This record gives sequence, C-alpha cells and structure tokens, in this order.
Amino acid sequence: MFRSRIQEKQPGSAFVFSSPERTSHLVKGSEVGPELSGYGLRVHVDGSIKGSSFQRRVTISPKLYRSVIEDVIEGVRDLFAEEGIEEQVLKDLKQLWETKVLQSKATEDFFRNSVHSPVFTLQLPNSLHQTLQSSTASLVIPAGRPLPSFTTAELGTSSCSASFTLSGYPIHVPAGVTLQTASGHLYKVNVPIMVTQTSGRASILHPIQQVFQQLGQPPIIQTSVPQLNPCSLHATTEKSQRIETVLQQPTILHSGTVDRKHLENATSDILAPPANEREIMSEALLSQPESSQYISLPGVVFPPQVSQTDSQVEPVLSVSGSMTQNLNGRPFSTSQQGAQHRHMSDTQLHVLKNRMFGCDSIKQQRNTEEPSNLPVSEKDSNSQMDLSIQVTDDINEIIQIDGTGDASSNDEIGSTRDVDENEFLGIIDAGDLKVLEEEADSISNEDSTANSSDNEDPQIDIVEEDPLNSGDDVSEQDVPDLFDTDNVIVCQYDKIHRSKNKWKFYLKDGVMCFGGRDYVFAKAIGDAEW
Amino acid sequence: MDADSDVALDILITNVVCVFRTRCHLNLRKIALEGANVIYKRDVGKVLMKLRKPRITATIWSSGKIICTGATSEEEAKFGARRLARSLQKLGFQVIFTDFKVVNVLAVCNMPFEIRLPEFTKNNRPHASYEPELHPAVCYRIKSLRATLQIFSTGSITVTGILWY
Repeated sequence: MFRSRIQEKQPGSAFVFSSPERTSHLVKGSEVGPELSGYGLRVHVDGSIKGSSFQRRVTISPKLYRSVIEDVIEGVRDLFAEEGIEEQVLKDLKQLWETKVLQSKATEDFFRNSVHSPVFTLQLPNSLHQTLQSSTASLVIPAGRPLPSFTTAELGTSSCSASFTLSGYPIHVPAGVTLQTASGHLYKVNVPIMVTQTSGRASILHPIQQVFQQLGQPPIIQTSVPQLNPCSLHATTEKSQRIETVLQQPTILHSGTVDRKHLENATSDILAPPANEREIMSEALLSQPESSQYISLPGVVFPPQVSQTDSQVEPVLSVSGSMTQNLNGRPFSTSQQGAQHRHMSDTQLHVLKNRMFGCDSIKQQRNTEEPSNLPVSEKDSNSQMDLSIQVTDDINEIIQIDGTGDASSNDEIGSTRDVDENEFLGIIDAGDLKVLEEEADSISNEDSTANSSDNEDPQIDIVEEDPLNSGDDVSEQDVPDLFDTDNVIVCQYDKIHRSKNKWKFYLKDGVMCFGGRDYVFAKAIGDAEW
Repeated sequence: MDADSDVALDILITNVVCVFRTRCHLNLRKIALEGANVIYKRDVGKVLMKLRKPRITATIWSSGKIICTGATSEEEAKFGARRLARSLQKLGFQVIFTDFKVVNVLAVCNMPFEIRLPEFTKNNRPHASYEPELHPAVCYRIKSLRATLQIFSTGSITVTGILWY
C-alpha cells in the first residue's frame, strides 16, 4: 500500500468504526476541507455535526464516542462477569477509557460544544465551614449576569443552597462566597474575583475524575465526577489595598461510584491548592496582605495511574506546613503564588480515580511532583505570570505522553483485497513490462553473467558480491523522514487511484485524527501529489 | 553536419531500466507494511517502491529480483538501485547487491523534418518493418547494436535497446 503521510500508523484516539449504528450518527453535512499537511493533500469530508454547536470545522460529537464506550462496556459486561472479574474493574475501565479519550485532544471541543456553561457552585458565606464539611448544594453563578438564576443543585443539600449555572466566562464572583466547582473543589473567596478561561489551555486540559481523599474525614462529599476545564482565576483586587485572596481546596474524600455523567456538563474549574480541610484552611485564612494577585489556575490533569500508598496525612501536612512557611517567610506575591503553585501542582498531580484507591491519597505523586514544580514556580518572579501554564506544561507533557502512549492498532479496516476496487496503474508501459518480464525470465534461466555490457562499469559477477557498504555511499538520508506524522485516517476505501504521481482517494466511513482532533466522516475524497 | 548536430542535440535518455538481485527471499508483505512509499500489488505478487531522489520505481519480487525503472542515466540507475537495496536492508532483509545489469535504455530524439514512412520502409527493407494498422511508427531494428528504433512520421524517434545476455 502506498503509504502516504496520512496513513501512518499512529496511536491516538481514533476509533475503528464498523457498526452501522455508528453511521447513523453521521449526518451529511457540508463539505469541509481540512488541509492536511504534507504534499498538498486535501481531503473533502462530508462530516457529521452533532449538536447545536456547529463550528467551522467538523468536530466529532462527544456523544458518538460516548455511545461507543457505552456499547462496548455493555458488550463486555457479560464477558467480564463470566471471567469472574468484578464489576468494579469494568467500571474503572470505562472511566479510564473516558478520561483518556477526553484527555486526548480528540475531543478538544468537547466541552466547548457540549458544555454550555461552566458550572460553579457557590455557597453563600453563611454556611462556610459547614459546607466544607458536608456536601451541600451549591450555587452556580451564571456568568455575566448579576443575578443568578436559581436551579436546583445537583450536589447534596444544604441549608443555604442555590445553584447557578454559569453560562460562560468570564465569571464575576463577588467576595465572600465559597465556590465549589463541579469537580468538588471548594474555594473560599474573600475578594471579588473573576474567573476566566485560560486561552489556549482549554484544549490541553480535560476534565478528569478527581478523587480527593482525606484521611479520617467524613465520607464522600461529592458524588459527581468533577470536571475541570482550564480556567484562570484572576484575583483582582478591586481596591487598591492589599487584600488577600485565599483559595483553598479541601480534599474531599471521594469514594463510591464516580458519576461520569457530569462529563457532559461543562465545567470550568478553578484550581486551587489542595489543602487539608481544616488545618490548611485555617492556615490559609491567616490573612497575608497581598497585592493584587493574578493567579491562573490550570485545570487539573493527572497521571493516569495512582499508586496506592499508605502514606498518611503527614505528607499533606508537610505540604501544608511548608506552604504556610512560605506564606510567612517570603514576599507575599511570590510566596503566595509559590504556595499556590505548589498547591496547584499538587492538585494537578492528583490522580482522579475513585473508589479503586480507598482512602489513600496520591500524596506520593504530589510530593514527587512538588519539588519539580517548585523550581518552576520560583523562577517566575512576575506576579502576573501565568503560573499555571508552566505547571501545566510540565504536567501536560507528562499527561500527553501517557495519553498518546496508547497504541491502538490502526490498520485499515475493511480494506478488502478485491482486485476490482484496487487498481493501480504502473508506470511501466505494457510493452516495456512485457519485455522486462521476458528479460527477467531469461535472466533467471541463466546463471552466469557475461559482463559484456559495454557501457557499464565492471559489474558484479554472480560469484562476487558487491558489499553494500551500508550507509557509506548509499545514504538514504537524503530524503528525511517526513513521516511519523500524527495525522491518521482509519477508514474504508472505495477506490484509490494513482496516475504517475497523482493520487486520488475515495474513502468512506472513517475517523480522521488530524492535529490531535478527531473527525468522523462518511465519505472522503482526497487528492495528493507524491 | 547540421542534421547530425541536430540529432546529437535532441537525443535524450528518458528511461534506464536495470535489474539486480538481492540474493535473499523478500517478504513482500513486510515490505509493504513497513516500507515507505510502497505499493503492494498482491494480485501479481509485486511490490512497487518509489524513490524520490533518483526518481525511480522499483518492482520487487519475493524471489529477490528487483527491476528498477525511471532513472535518467545508467549511473543514476545504479545509484538508485543501491539505495533501494539499502532501504531493503534497513527493513531487515539480508540484502546483497548482486547482478546489477542495465537492461534497457530508452532515448528520444527529434528529427527536424518529417519522414515518409512507406518510402522509408521500402528503402530499408530488412531492418524496417511497418504495419500502419498496428502501429503508426516504423520499427527499425539494428541487430548489431541491439537497438530498436521507432520512427514516426513527425520525425520523432524513440530509441530503445534491450541487452540480452
């Protein structure tokens, strides 16, 4: 098979579609022509758009992927049961799958499309401490609107509870409230803050499950799967005085089934340093006068695996202790940022797997990541720096390496070997070919070669071997390896045609992973020049 | 004189075909899967591998016989063949570059004048053969040089030579 750049084997989140019901999701949309790089390949795709958010590009519907996951899980449920594997494992598999899918850029627009509003839960200051301890319904403030519209909260119940759904960034959060994102982070906001979405980061960070574990703490506060979208929390002091903004995030013991349904709900996340509930909170509440802060908190990303440790609260305490020390000992802006940086890193390092890992936290990762991120944060001297991006870069690199480390076999499905469909034109004329074939036959009959060719240099006899001198003369490095692109198409073909060096592709029923994002098509026509 | 110089100017080698052996069995499927720029013709049991640098196309058989076409000179043909063998070696096959032979050289030249084919054929009885119903050109064979010329009425001539060993 002529391997062009688009057909590289590529690990990715590409699904192999074979079931017809999948295609029912596909709607013949308008032609979109993403320009694939390399030799001017252009593919026109009749893509599928689902949902109300039609963007310029064809984006894969998250529902499609979700339905695939659901079907597969259902399909193997019986098998798992037969094998004697717990239901738990199946659920974990499903979540792992979902998180990986979301992690990858394949469903980058996932949240933009399906999620219409970031979800914040605000808790009125009345029940601050209470809410931290117990699951409470929370307020979700719609962005841009001074008065939130009340909707019933999903999470728990509380005396003071109201849910506001945020319709989008930026979100202006008045002072004196406690924010609780869908991910379960609780933030106590003492200054008016604005939550915006970090640009460019949204694509990188994806909602993840979060397990916040607190040893010796009351059980689950959150039952919903937290989801994080990168967002930057800008704490701007409206007044020129130095006001502290304390963002905390108590660790929440998370057990039980994680509800993935919330994945479909948009979440923006304010990432705050994790903290032991009371201790750190109290420490953090030690107000440190602070100049205007500009804290951007990335969404949480997590390494895929959590190592169960029996580490206790101590590491957490040490973290918090160090944080407080830093709070005390340093210039405020940097210290706070440093602390929060560390916090952020810690949070980011939290692997969000529920129930699998009982009460033990991910403290190891937290601790291990902490020093690595410390220098990162400390390098930043500017209080305006976007710390999150640096941290998230590190994390994202880690994450993405893991995410893209999935190796899914990307063979062309359904590439039947029908001679009818697959016609290639050779460049050798028929006459030449016939002659050549005859020549080949005749040569094969002869064993000795009389080097009687006048024009040639002394050639190799059959007896002598001309060593290839690997690499010496015949260096094929001239043509650099432009291969190994990340763009893959997994599909079936109707016809692939070539004339000299002009190729034409008539493809069908496929998924295109282009630029990390997935596009689904029912028909694709391509032109390429080699 | 003038005609000679014209002929000398116009002749152009368009294709050099060569063969060589790798002395080892080649797994076509593996080449097709792992090689770069390959076309697998499973129905006929060949793999076509195209190279860019010397723009050549090689037909590879599983027996280890490889035919290399598309080069514009013999040097280039050899160079391309070696490069091809090198790439096969990199794929893991124990390739030995043997039996390299230039099999065919194809050249084109243009006469500045038109040619009357029936007359030409009559005057060059033993060498020229002309079947206008089959092919519009006169086929002129030079046995001593092992060359075949196709002479068209427009004056363009295709010279090809197959070296039989």
